[in-house]
Amino acid sequence: MPRILFILALLCPASAFAELEISEAQIKNLPASVPVRAGYMTIHNPSQVAVIIDAIRSDAFSSVEIHRSVMQDGMMRMDPVDKLQIAPGANLQLAPGGLHLMMMLPVEPTRPGDEIEIILQLDDGSEQAVKMKVIK
Amino acid sequence: MNKSSIVIVTLFALIGGFGLSWYINNNKPIELESGLWFGDQARALPDFELIDHNRKPVTPSQLKGQWSLLFFGFTHCPDICPIGLQTLADMVKAIDDDDVSDVLQIYFVSVDPERDSPEILAEYVTYFNPAFHGATAPLERLTPLTRSLGIAHMIRNKTDASPDYDVDHSAAIVLINPQAEYAGLFGAPQNAQAMARDLTRIIERNPL
Repeated sequence: MPRILFILALLCPASAFAELEISEAQIKNLPASVPVRAGYMTIHNPSQVAVIIDAIRSDAFSSVEIHRSVMQDGMMRMDPVDKLQIAPGANLQLAPGGLHLMMMLPVEPTRPGDEIEIILQLDDGSEQAVKMKVIK
Repeated sequence: MNKSSIVIVTLFALIGGFGLSWYINNNKPIELESGLWFGDQARALPDFELIDHNRKPVTPSQLKGQWSLLFFGFTHCPDICPIGLQTLADMVKAIDDDDVSDVLQIYFVSVDPERDSPEILAEYVTYFNPAFHGATAPLERLTPLTRSLGIAHMIRNKTDASPDYDVDHSAAIVLINPQAEYAGLFGAPQNAQAMARDLTRIIERNPL
């Protein structure tokens, strides 16, 4: 019986088991007088269920929002994005010129080489910490 | 025809051939990999006066005698503007002909003059390359210039309650020739290597 439960637990498609795989998590540094930074990363969802990131926070910034740069009427504009959904097995790229994290008001000045932790808040209530590297 | 006549005719034919090929080569339109070159269609800029990050004026007459690239944006822009400036910094590094890079100036023109003081612009642009210039002007003085270049920009979501607002803006990069005329355009997203090759082609074919 315990063995059957164990197998069932393995097969159970619960997002609580989902751990996103994050790579190339980088923050583009800017001079101290500029109060915003952009964050980029590749998010892979290795699980069998879609994962939704509801919000992102970091002790190192007063706020972190998800934005998308879009071209409209010949102008680039930034639109806020409510949440990020990553399909089972899929990759989602936050990359220059598209989806990115808008990280506002660094608590301390950021320097290339710094590692900054952010927390991904998932829609099932769980959280995942991610280390981002500040790059020149 | 004796031998010396044949030699002379051959020489003339060779010189003529080389001359013709040189003429054709130097008068054919410049084809760019990544932008538009207006050639004879370059047009004069309207009168304008910006202030640079050292609080010195930038006017059409100051742009004469050099090639200039103008990129429009604002420092509170986390994604598009750092990409554009980094591309320009990479482009300058990729130009291996000093005669080209020595006559090329890069200007980041802020379309958010309220927040982007010359001091902030100084710190911002020199972060990407110490030789870059920041410039801006009050919108009523800036807009006639941007309008004439087809560079759109618009402040959005600005309220008295919130100091945060967005500025939508064109991310194209404008080329000004040494006569201070609008001479070309590189649309976004730009490629540093292709721009370096294009500008080398343009500037080598049109020496000061």
